Amino acid sequence: MRHSSRRGWRRAVNGVNVAALLVFLFIALPLYWMISAAFKTPEGVGASPPQYFPHHLSTKNFSIAFSQFTFGQYIVNSVIVAVSATVLILVFGTLAGYALGRTPMRGRLAVLMSLLMISVFPEIAVVVPLYALLRDIGWLNSYQALIIPYTAFFMPFAIWILRNYFLGIPREMEESARIDGASPLRTIWSVILPQAWPGLFTAGIFTFTACWTEFLMALSFNIVNGYRTIPVGVALFGAQFVVPYGTIFAASVVAVVPIAVLVLIFRRSVVSGLTAGSVKG
Amino acid sequence: MASSSHDAFRRRQARLGWALSAPALTVIAAVTIFPICYAIAMSVSNVSATGSGFSLNGLTGNNYSIMFNAPQWRYALFFTVLYTVVTVAIEVALGTAIALVLERLTWARGWMMALMLIPWSMITVINAQLWGYIYNPTYGVLDDIFSRLGLGAPVILGTKVPAIMALMGADVWKTTPFVVIIVLAGLVMIPRDYYEAAAVDGAGGWTIFWKITFPQLRPTIALAVLFRVLQAFGLFDLPFVLTNGGPGDSTQSLAILAYNAMFRDLDFGPGAAVATSTALLVVIGCLVFLKVFRAQAGTEES
Amino acid sequence: MATAAASAVLLAATACGGSSSSGSGTSSAPAVSGSATSGTITWWASPITTSGSDPRTVLIKKFEKAYPKIHVNLQSAPTDTDTNRSSLITTISGGATSPDVYMGDVIWPGQFGKAGLAAPLSKYLPKSYFSQFAPGLAQGATYNGQVYGAPFFEDEGFLYYRKDLLAKEHMKVPTTWQQLESEASTLTKKKDAKYGYVWEGDSYEGLTCDFMEYLGSAGGTVLNSGMNGSTLNSAAGKKALSFMQSLITSGASPKAVTTMQEPQAMSAFASGQSAFLRNWDYGYSYANTASSPSKVVGKVGVAPLPGFAGGTSPGTSTIGGWNLYINPHSKHVAADLTFIKWMTGATAEKTLATQFSEIPTLQSVRTSSGVVSSNPVLAAAAKTRLIPRPAGTPQYAKVSQAIYTNVNSALTGSAQPGPALSSASSAINSAVSSSGSGL
Repeated sequence: MRHSSRRGWRRAVNGVNVAALLVFLFIALPLYWMISAAFKTPEGVGASPPQYFPHHLSTKNFSIAFSQFTFGQYIVNSVIVAVSATVLILVFGTLAGYALGRTPMRGRLAVLMSLLMISVFPEIAVVVPLYALLRDIGWLNSYQALIIPYTAFFMPFAIWILRNYFLGIPREMEESARIDGASPLRTIWSVILPQAWPGLFTAGIFTFTACWTEFLMALSFNIVNGYRTIPVGVALFGAQFVVPYGTIFAASVVAVVPIAVLVLIFRRSVVSGLTAGSVKG
Repeated sequence: MASSSHDAFRRRQARLGWALSAPALTVIAAVTIFPICYAIAMSVSNVSATGSGFSLNGLTGNNYSIMFNAPQWRYALFFTVLYTVVTVAIEVALGTAIALVLERLTWARGWMMALMLIPWSMITVINAQLWGYIYNPTYGVLDDIFSRLGLGAPVILGTKVPAIMALMGADVWKTTPFVVIIVLAGLVMIPRDYYEAAAVDGAGGWTIFWKITFPQLRPTIALAVLFRVLQAFGLFDLPFVLTNGGPGDSTQSLAILAYNAMFRDLDFGPGAAVATSTALLVVIGCLVFLKVFRAQAGTEES
Repeated sequence: MATAAASAVLLAATACGGSSSSGSGTSSAPAVSGSATSGTITWWASPITTSGSDPRTVLIKKFEKAYPKIHVNLQSAPTDTDTNRSSLITTISGGATSPDVYMGDVIWPGQFGKAGLAAPLSKYLPKSYFSQFAPGLAQGATYNGQVYGAPFFEDEGFLYYRKDLLAKEHMKVPTTWQQLESEASTLTKKKDAKYGYVWEGDSYEGLTCDFMEYLGSAGGTVLNSGMNGSTLNSAAGKKALSFMQSLITSGASPKAVTTMQEPQAMSAFASGQSAFLRNWDYGYSYANTASSPSKVVGKVGVAPLPGFAGGTSPGTSTIGGWNLYINPHSKHVAADLTFIKWMTGATAEKTLATQFSEIPTLQSVRTSSGVVSSNPVLAAAAKTRLIPRPAGTPQYAKVSQAIYTNVNSALTGSAQPGPALSSASSAINSAVSSSGSGL
């Protein structure tokens, strides 16, 4: 008995598990610091020496975020904008990524390079002319004022990601589908996509978080409170000389919820997709 | 006969390619071409900001000569390149290592993945605030840990080298998870039989990684590097919130420089010059990287 | 091919689009005198306080009661002043007609006036309107002979001190910088407080404000009277910067001040860690209100900033605070003016002072006994010597950056005061002389 339990202990303390624990601490400790600050009282947040465990748990920071600011509205806006842009990018980006990765289209390289150029162009330089463009078509203060620019500016890199994964899928299955007379769209849908889950997931996560965290366009294009997103909303917290860490972190904790929900929804496909082919040992 | 039908097939396929990419390219072009061309035009014009927009009067190379002659620009370029090289190297190495660990992890893998997504999806300004709170010299937790370890209470963000390292630390924490996700997705796509063959040959873990895993991961790692270079070169939020470019101007990145020129000084011409040249530099950097990386891959594979 | 065509279409759309953005107003009288009118106007203002009732909505309600035909729509602006400004620059230079009125920093008139981002108020309002404000305020909002901002509430630097600690060590409230330095060092040596004196030493606009106070007390200036050359590299400049440096080297101030902005300095003081603090008007209510995270409630005193020994006492306090500006594209200028006149009038100013302890801009309200006695900060404000930042030049942002980056370098020890000042001086010269081309 003793022998086997010791062997069990040894098995738990193998290199992989120890490394995973270190990774866990690396990611989780700063997060713990943020979450615990969100539940601290204002004195607790600014206490010196810092309170490693909050002395008094308080939900005041959360109530401030929701009562003094229309934080619920900001979350809804962020979700609408980020989900719409992500869906558009994944649909259009998959088609384009497939075309650029798998078809002998002429000028492929030029297109790929142009896409790279667009995704590296600093946002600060395009905000002002883009504002004028949106004003002229009457789109300021609307959801599309963010959805369309996000789609356009974040799609180039998503196409690069998707193309990269499509390149790695063996050609044989695609050819057999074509011989069976399947249309190109049908081939993408039933042959390519099921294999490209990890790529789609990566591109989707990239896009969603890019939209979720974008600040400058959201700040400039939608100045009506009803269309503001979370990053802009958080910038309204406090006052000129006051940084309310507690409230900001409470808002951030809440802002994680939609991401968590998304991950839960896609958990099966994502996690299985990301680990199905993994090699044990 | 056979070859002409093959040509016809290729032509059809090429047309199909354009048809499939048309929706994406149309949206991208419609939204991005005008602002980008406008910004480039600003960089080569005498720009005067007026209440009713900008007027671009005549071509000039002035904005670029101002930029090349400014010591701030040279320092910002140096700082941004240094920052990019160091953080990308750390993040890609660390991210690959973590992905390999997660791939082998037999339990709680899903939860680890979910955990990884939190820093990555955190709003950049909030991430900066969180690290500002951690690095704070009077009530920050890091200084408290240092002083408990008997290392004194360093003023992290107020001293040049520690401030740069602090920015890098915050960056590594937030973006390594995305490298992990990209690399893990790439790992999963490596066919299993490659490993099985290697195992039969009796290769050790280290050999397997360098002979099989790494070559197969090449495109994925290239993508991760590319992605990180683009992002690191645009470094803005962290110094904007944490150090405001200080102490002195030791953490002033190219993006901060361009932002300050445009939105603090209303110097849109020189600001656009900084932005445009930054984009050009990144593209050149990426192309060189891809070329070298591919060339190397080519020689190894052949 | 398709891409080129699509973008051409959009370019054409942009070219002939004109300004089609929707104004939210109903109507506006063509006469723009500031007399009562009707309509809906949008007011862009960042939060003024963090707890209790919001002064912005309190004032709007009172205004709408006085002018029932005008409706005011509040748009909350980012609390970070730089973010606030970049948002306004994008919006207004993009030709937006909304917001109509915005609350902006007192250092913006030169830059905004030159770039046409604010409408010249003195075109609409008589001289007698501007002469009601405390001396220097309207002057500070002037660029090129036109007044661009209506002084809404003022702010300035104060010295906050711990009454209990001074009493314990039988010390007096310092009236000279040297006295402050020695008292602060003594208090830290005796372990009465962890830090002696905290202030804003980070590399940002606030450091320019702090530096101006030492410079002013030493008798120095930043720009010549023509605003086209630097006068910073002087004996007074060296005296100011060397003294700031000595605060840190003598241990009166911690090294950490070189990373402190207002919130960090405030929290070091309010948590009881520091004996003295330089901060703005809000510091008193922040430190003395039980609802805020303060451990020093009831132990805090406020005084004008000290001067240098042998010079004038009190020393100089930098002018801060906020003006109201009109968007030059506003379609409701008459209503905007009515709103601005009321917001800078006696009722609003008295409300700001007595309910929210902001410093009023109207000279009559500022000195009225009811206001002075309502709050120790307002009493101290009556005794201060004010000094403006050199914001009359449209290149002020660059001038200030030259100051705070170089002063910060000197404070962190990476530069000596002499070289730091000459480096700042040459940066200022190149900013103001060649109409500011440079990075």
